[in-house]
Amino acid sequence: MCNQMVVEVERIDKRFESVHAVNEVSFSVERGEILGFLGPNGAGKTTTIRMILGIFDPDAGEIRSSLGPSLGRVPKERTGYLPEERGLYGDAKIHDLLTYFGELKGLQRAEARERARRWLERFDLLDWSTKKVEKLSKGMQQKVQFIAAVLHKPDLVVLDEPFAGLDPVNQDLLKEIIRGLREDGAAILLSSHQMNRVEELCDRIFLIHRGRRVLYGDLDEIKEAHGEHAVSIRFAGDGSVLQGTSGATDLRIEGSRASFTLSRDASPDAFVRALPEGLGILALHVDRPPLHDIFVRTIGDDDEAR
Amino acid sequence: MKLGKIIRWEFTQNVRSKQFLFITILIPAFVGLAVFAATRVIGAENTGPSEPPPPVIIGIFLAMILFLGAFMSGVMTLYGVLKEKQTRSAEMMLSSVSAWELMSGKMIGLGLTGLIQVAAWGVTAYFVAGLFFPVSLEMLTLVHWISYPLYFALGFLFIASIFGTVGASIKDIHSGGAVGIAGMIPYLPMVFAGLIVTQPDLLWVRIAGFIPPFTPAVMLLRIGATPIVSEGTRVVPAWEIGLSLLSLAVGTFLMMRFAAKVFEVGMLMTGKSASLRELWRWGRRGAS
Repeated sequence: MCNQMVVEVERIDKRFESVHAVNEVSFSVERGEILGFLGPNGAGKTTTIRMILGIFDPDAGEIRSSLGPSLGRVPKERTGYLPEERGLYGDAKIHDLLTYFGELKGLQRAEARERARRWLERFDLLDWSTKKVEKLSKGMQQKVQFIAAVLHKPDLVVLDEPFAGLDPVNQDLLKEIIRGLREDGAAILLSSHQMNRVEELCDRIFLIHRGRRVLYGDLDEIKEAHGEHAVSIRFAGDGSVLQGTSGATDLRIEGSRASFTLSRDASPDAFVRALPEGLGILALHVDRPPLHDIFVRTIGDDDEAR
Repeated sequence: MKLGKIIRWEFTQNVRSKQFLFITILIPAFVGLAVFAATRVIGAENTGPSEPPPPVIIGIFLAMILFLGAFMSGVMTLYGVLKEKQTRSAEMMLSSVSAWELMSGKMIGLGLTGLIQVAAWGVTAYFVAGLFFPVSLEMLTLVHWISYPLYFALGFLFIASIFGTVGASIKDIHSGGAVGIAGMIPYLPMVFAGLIVTQPDLLWVRIAGFIPPFTPAVMLLRIGATPIVSEGTRVVPAWEIGLSLLSLAVGTFLMMRFAAKVFEVGMLMTGKSASLRELWRWGRRGAS
């Protein structure tokens, strides 16, 4: 994996009338990485994405890209976008529509047609290629729109909630395809509220809250920095022996399940060795706190700090 | 490049639609056949006047048909824009093309569709009229051939820009409101059509011909009607035609630019219609 910057955003700012939608935000996306683009609803994610994609310009700040002839705006031919608000021309035939989108991204007609055919095959939609978009189920339309976003082999792929509305089988297929895109060197911006998906896929994360960056960096390092371990145990014996475990806080015991947080200085090794007798462990899970918790805590802390 | 692709797409998508089949082929064919059959049955062609109609009839008729065609394509633009907005396909499109390309591509594609419809009606009308009078295209002067297509093309783009602006700024087809009325402005001169046709040299008619929203309607009617007053010897002065076309071209360009700015903002905004004040701000500044 080479660390080559594809897009660099520096202190971009955007206001809509009374709303300060994006406030001096900076980050970059590199070749061959997936950047998790997170934030509560209305935090400024879509506005930031639209500025990167050149749908509109920031009021201040700079967006640089290595994709164009000179270090400047991101060329629209080199980007692919799956917006959160899905939408396709309902009365168009699927293969025609994909060919059209490919052409608008600079592909030759024949090339666009052929690539669209291959992608439809991959998503098992070939039988539907002459049908109208409106005849498709929601999940199928989702797949068609994903194809439209990646058909032209973009260097920058922006995916907003790509898994929404897909069944587990297709979610796995999509996950595999997104990883494939990363392998091929694309820079991917993945926006999602499904924290488990983000954890599975993303190399780095960016968290935006009320238009400002509140967390940004390598996913593992961020987890490391949050120190503690989250422990959950399922047991057959007596749970009360867990009372007084050294370094455990927020202990919660409900029936045959217990969960708590292990403080920064308590190592998982020592904790496991010191587990009391009589618990009758059925399952034991020790891990860094889930991204979900980091997300919620960071947003909460930020709200308090204001 | 991209503009051409958008035009081709909009054009082919529309030509394949059922409405197009109805308006362009089925209805004209039905009208033509019905009139033809009627003349066979009652022998109308023998009872009607056999001398050719004054050229002015052809001119005015053509003016009407062109203007009606521009209006219909304008309304199609309104629907096309609203559909794009409501299906939320605009965001995807705007990540590939500029608002200007999307808007003008849509308009020109629909305009070409409208042109085919106008041609179909024109041919039908020519055929139907031929059953009653000895008509011939030689009744049209060079002035008609040159100026009519220009007024139609520019007029259509002007009207379509207004409808495009309306489409991009309203929530759905039921909330046209104050903005929707803007689409009717170019049609105001039609209220005075009778006057324009009978007195095409009145000062205020001539002035109205230079004011962009009114130019297409006024000038098409004036040029069509002028020979009636002067018995085929005089036409609208060339400088007036040239100046009005220039003024219309500038007006059309400004209107299209305004519409493209409104597009930038409005196409990504759903669930809310713009107030006139908002519309004015969007049109001046776009999304920035």
